[in-house]
Amino acid sequence: MANIAAQRIKREFKEVIKSEEVAKCAIKLELVDNNYTELKGEIAGPPDTPYEGGNFVLEIKVPETYPFNPPKVRFITKIWHPNISSVTGAICLDILKDQWAAAMTLRTVLLSLQALLSAAEPDDPQDAVVARQYKENLDMFKLTARHWTNAYAGGPSVNSECDDKIKRLVDMGIEEHQARVALSSYNWDLERATEQLFS
Amino acid sequence: MAETEVRTCKKFCLEYYNLNTCSNRKNCLYPHKPQHEITAVGFVQGEDYVLGQLLEMKNQRPCYFYQMGRCKYQDRCRFLHDNDNKSANEPSTSQCNHIEDVNFAQVPNSENKAASDMELSSVETDIHSVEEEEPSCSSNSSQDTKTSYEQDSEEGACASPPLVIINNRNWVDAPEFIPRSKPQKSYAQVLHSEINMDSNIIRKMCPYASRDGICLNLGQCNNLHGELCDMCERFVLHPYDEEERKKHRQECLKNHEKNMELSFAIQRSKDKTCGVCFEVIMEKANSEQRFGILPNCNHCFCLACIRKWRQAHQFENKIIRACPECRVTSDFVCPSMYWVDTKEEKEKLIDDYKKALSNKACKYFKKGLGKCPFGNKCFYMHADKDGRIIDVGPPQRQRRNRYADTDIDVLQVMLWDFLDERDFPWQTLADDLEDLVSFFTESDESDWSDYELFFD
Repeated sequence: MANIAAQRIKREFKEVIKSEEVAKCAIKLELVDNNYTELKGEIAGPPDTPYEGGNFVLEIKVPETYPFNPPKVRFITKIWHPNISSVTGAICLDILKDQWAAAMTLRTVLLSLQALLSAAEPDDPQDAVVARQYKENLDMFKLTARHWTNAYAGGPSVNSECDDKIKRLVDMGIEEHQARVALSSYNWDLERATEQLFS
Repeated sequence: MAETEVRTCKKFCLEYYNLNTCSNRKNCLYPHKPQHEITAVGFVQGEDYVLGQLLEMKNQRPCYFYQMGRCKYQDRCRFLHDNDNKSANEPSTSQCNHIEDVNFAQVPNSENKAASDMELSSVETDIHSVEEEEPSCSSNSSQDTKTSYEQDSEEGACASPPLVIINNRNWVDAPEFIPRSKPQKSYAQVLHSEINMDSNIIRKMCPYASRDGICLNLGQCNNLHGELCDMCERFVLHPYDEEERKKHRQECLKNHEKNMELSFAIQRSKDKTCGVCFEVIMEKANSEQRFGILPNCNHCFCLACIRKWRQAHQFENKIIRACPECRVTSDFVCPSMYWVDTKEEKEKLIDDYKKALSNKACKYFKKGLGKCPFGNKCFYMHADKDGRIIDVGPPQRQRRNRYADTDIDVLQVMLWDFLDERDFPWQTLADDLEDLVSFFTESDESDWSDYELFFD
């Protein structure tokens, strides 16, 4: 790894550890390997959003050309968000792509992602299904996102109706996550989800 | 003669030449040579060097100490150890009518040790006033040499400051040492008539007293002993010449201001960190201790980092030309040794930078053989083989004119990118601390590939 990248990540790591966001448990950063090429980030779901109370784990890969190129970041925790793929966790955020600037840091990236959770951009979607739901049925989107936060990110709000529907699909021999995806995609319409799963 | 001399001349420290000591000591830009080792040809007004040639031959002045029988340098002595001269050291001086017989051993040493250089020149002048048949010998009138040099410089299109030729002191060629000259005055006569007249002007400041504050010859020293200057803390203030005193004080003040400015510059630069690598710029490796100043915002980067960022190819030009911190677009990066705080400092820095670039030949223009894509917007010099500056007009538009509105914009974008790239190998000469200009060496890598890529 280029020396400048390692040096900078080292400094940034120290900076994040000391930052007030870490003190408030809003963000977290851990080393995955010792040569500062891979890190694990964690952001708390922002308050007053469907993600509140959840903790979302991120995979951060630092390229050799960092900071002249952005770090590669994706969600490991499954999340229901128009700009994040519900399948792969890939993120659609301009600063992680063509709007990157060399002065940005891992801390600003994590905070930007947190901001992305509170302000989705459905017109520039990563996940078309989620984005359509967001635009057509915002309440349904919020319900789904809250349910996902509860199921994968340790969020507090339990929706027994959703859980029941998933349980019924699981009883039919469908894998839980698959069932959740199908139900979420069809606005929790059990019939259509079943149809899709068995067609 | 003057022409060849000026061309082959080297620069020597003027202060050392005059005072035998130099306030810059080891940091002086010019070599330290005492007067008797240089044939001075001239000096340039406002500069602190003297142009001259080093005397290669063994000094022809007899060694005083050898004649006293105790020269500790023996064979290594710069002065002449000559037994004939020793034998000639007899009281027959006054009877000597021929200049070729005169040698310096006859000058009583206690009398005019320091003034002996002046004696030489005065002797020359005098001889020439008498000797009309050989006017082009050593002490040519300063007017002649000056004009011949100026003509020469015009032909060579060399923009040097005006050269003032001082009295040619190439006394090795002086008639004293050339047997055929037949002067009518004796050395002693010449000597006394001249010296007595100008003794006050000729008397120089004692180099020992002005350097150390102590002159061992205090009682007998022929030179002036200066008063203490409270700024430089040396005994260099002329005891009675008010003009000289003022001059020295002004110099001291100027030096002091310069030092203060430098201190402030270091102070405000020393804990600045680069927004890209996050390192303290003044604590980086020597060659990387340079700031890259963006003209349109006040964010701080090291030159290497900001240039690397601006050369990133995976982003749009709009992104890489913007400041990585505030995204304000700047057209170029100005290298600097120190951080600049105020608007005035910054303007001056950028002005100097552009000036420095405009003295450097454009690599694309190739003295008229090539074509510079940046036209008259280019920061570099567009001059033909004869050195004439040529206005090549505004930068050419893109070949395909489909997007007429965006062309100029894109072209300008690229212009400054090239500027950045071309300047990149600045590290090669980075040890040269004071010279902003010197690190703009041309890159060996051709930028033309990129250029073609863009214009196609």
